[in-house]
Amino acid sequence: MANILKTSILSSLGDLNSSLEAIKKSQTGISTRAIRAIEGDVEMPYYTLAKSVEDTQEGICPELKKVVAELLSGISQEDKKQTIIIIGTSIIDWHVIDAIESSNYEYKRKPYASQKRSIDSYAKDLSDEFELNGFTLTINTACTSSVNAILEASNLIDAGIYKYGVVVGLEIYSQMMSSGFYAMQLLSQSTIKPFDTQRGGTILGEAVAGVLLGTDKSEWQIKGGFSNCNGVSITAVSRDGDEFVEMMHNALKTSQISVEEITAIKAHATGTDSNDISEINAISKVFNESVIFTALKPYVGHTVGACGALEIALFMACIDDGFLPKTLNHADPILENYRPLLEQKECSSGTFMLNFFGFGGNNTSLILKKEFS
Amino acid sequence: MRLYVHAISSYRSDREDLDIKKELKQKCKIDLRRKEEFIYAGLLGALRLQENGDIKRESELYLTSGFGNINILAKMNEYIVEKKEHIKLFDFINMLGNTTNFYVASELGIKGKSIFEISDNFTYFHTLISIYASILKNNNEVIIGAIDLASHNPEVMKRVAGVEESVNAVSSVMYQKVSLESKNALCALEFDTKFYSKSEIETLIEKENREVVFSMRCDTENNNYFETFASCVVNDMILKAQNCLYIECYEEKYKILKVTPL
Repeated sequence: MANILKTSILSSLGDLNSSLEAIKKSQTGISTRAIRAIEGDVEMPYYTLAKSVEDTQEGICPELKKVVAELLSGISQEDKKQTIIIIGTSIIDWHVIDAIESSNYEYKRKPYASQKRSIDSYAKDLSDEFELNGFTLTINTACTSSVNAILEASNLIDAGIYKYGVVVGLEIYSQMMSSGFYAMQLLSQSTIKPFDTQRGGTILGEAVAGVLLGTDKSEWQIKGGFSNCNGVSITAVSRDGDEFVEMMHNALKTSQISVEEITAIKAHATGTDSNDISEINAISKVFNESVIFTALKPYVGHTVGACGALEIALFMACIDDGFLPKTLNHADPILENYRPLLEQKECSSGTFMLNFFGFGGNNTSLILKKEFS
Repeated sequence: MRLYVHAISSYRSDREDLDIKKELKQKCKIDLRRKEEFIYAGLLGALRLQENGDIKRESELYLTSGFGNINILAKMNEYIVEKKEHIKLFDFINMLGNTTNFYVASELGIKGKSIFEISDNFTYFHTLISIYASILKNNNEVIIGAIDLASHNPEVMKRVAGVEESVNAVSSVMYQKVSLESKNALCALEFDTKFYSKSEIETLIEKENREVVFSMRCDTENNNYFETFASCVVNDMILKAQNCLYIECYEEKYKILKVTPL
């Protein structure tokens, strides 16, 4: 199985070290952004990248390069030729927007260019810049985009097709995405309150988060995972969470791990009404009341397509530092006897389940193991 | 790497004059209201595939495309940027990359993995490689759908594709059901990870006793264009029961796909 060799992130809390230090101190990266609503632009809580990124296709590139350069440091030129890159994101394809504006609005017209551009052009440009293999993909499965990218890269490495896989989760502010979440009444006016009776929605955030996979020796192994497309509607699973239950059971099965072996769960925990009730019901059907579970979104926001790579990197950093992070903003559980971790807990190794759910019925569970050292 | 094709479905706008929504209304199980053309195109391919073979619940679904759903982005851009309005709920949902996957999976009764992915220049090839790795791991059948929908203003698609302004933008929806099982297969697909040079391709063409088909991007005599032509060639060769060596090229890099009907 593929191992996680390295991580590198940029979140609203800064780079990996800064983010870790902030989590240890229970600090969050919350600020505000204007979001387009029926009533006009409204200022809403938002987790903006510590370093502001321009909302354009060029604006993302320096941050992407920085993250990927850090992941690839130490990889030989020869091995780079066996290294692929997969991006998981739900960002708007600005190349298409550019073509739309040039074609449809005379005042925005630009000269005709004979170069293909797509949402995957970021990956292709990175592959060219760092002289990688040339195999690139960009996966969009909403909030499961980058965790699915990790599973796909892991498959390609396990099959012996490629040696290393760079996976990047990418999400930056977009008027279209944030306006859509607002229209769906999914956004909180204050904080993300995971699994709490008073939860009022989620808060979006930005991130560029990278993970390097390979078969080199590492303390962190991907034991397995499972991804399915199973929802009662395009935006939700059933409130009893049976679709998540099936996903978790299958992830354990493919990993050959028993329920009892799971040290802790990193929950998806968006703080929305529907996600949290389905997720807590599912957890209660798979695990008994002693299960330890926690949430990271109150620290860094819901980074949608990037949340897979970002939360995996943050969770690993916490364990490497010797603790399970506590869940912020939780007071009153929605399911009696199933309360997320409210105080940091010592933990430096174990087997962990990391869950991610998205629109489009996409549900993904990843099982990671860190050996006791 | 070798995959076997067990069922196919095809649609091309330059070959068939079809009102897709009308066709779907007669056959589709799911509610078609508040959806849009890219989703309809995906559903048309899925329905036709279903007519050509059983689909298992645990099957995996991979949808790929040259550029995704251009028309919905044009609509969103009009609302948000030009008219300074807010986004309507169903437009937002229809804009998400994997929305078409959800409806296609629902129509086919699939509950397995569902991925929407794009690779800049070799989207069908790279999807095949990732499918191969997934099948090795999970041993499931996989449905691969390649969807290119010509934009309402054809110039948009041509600008994104970086092709000549004079080409004819075509909509295409091609599906295959693939697995590692050769028994009762319609066709074998052989591909690899190598990027070939022009001289290597010339040698291969001489060596292989197969019809050679070039991608629309490098075939200057073909005035039609859509990005996922490789998927169309697979289906065409199966229907014609003819071997072929398909060659895709971009920026002096070449990839090959051997299509062998069985």
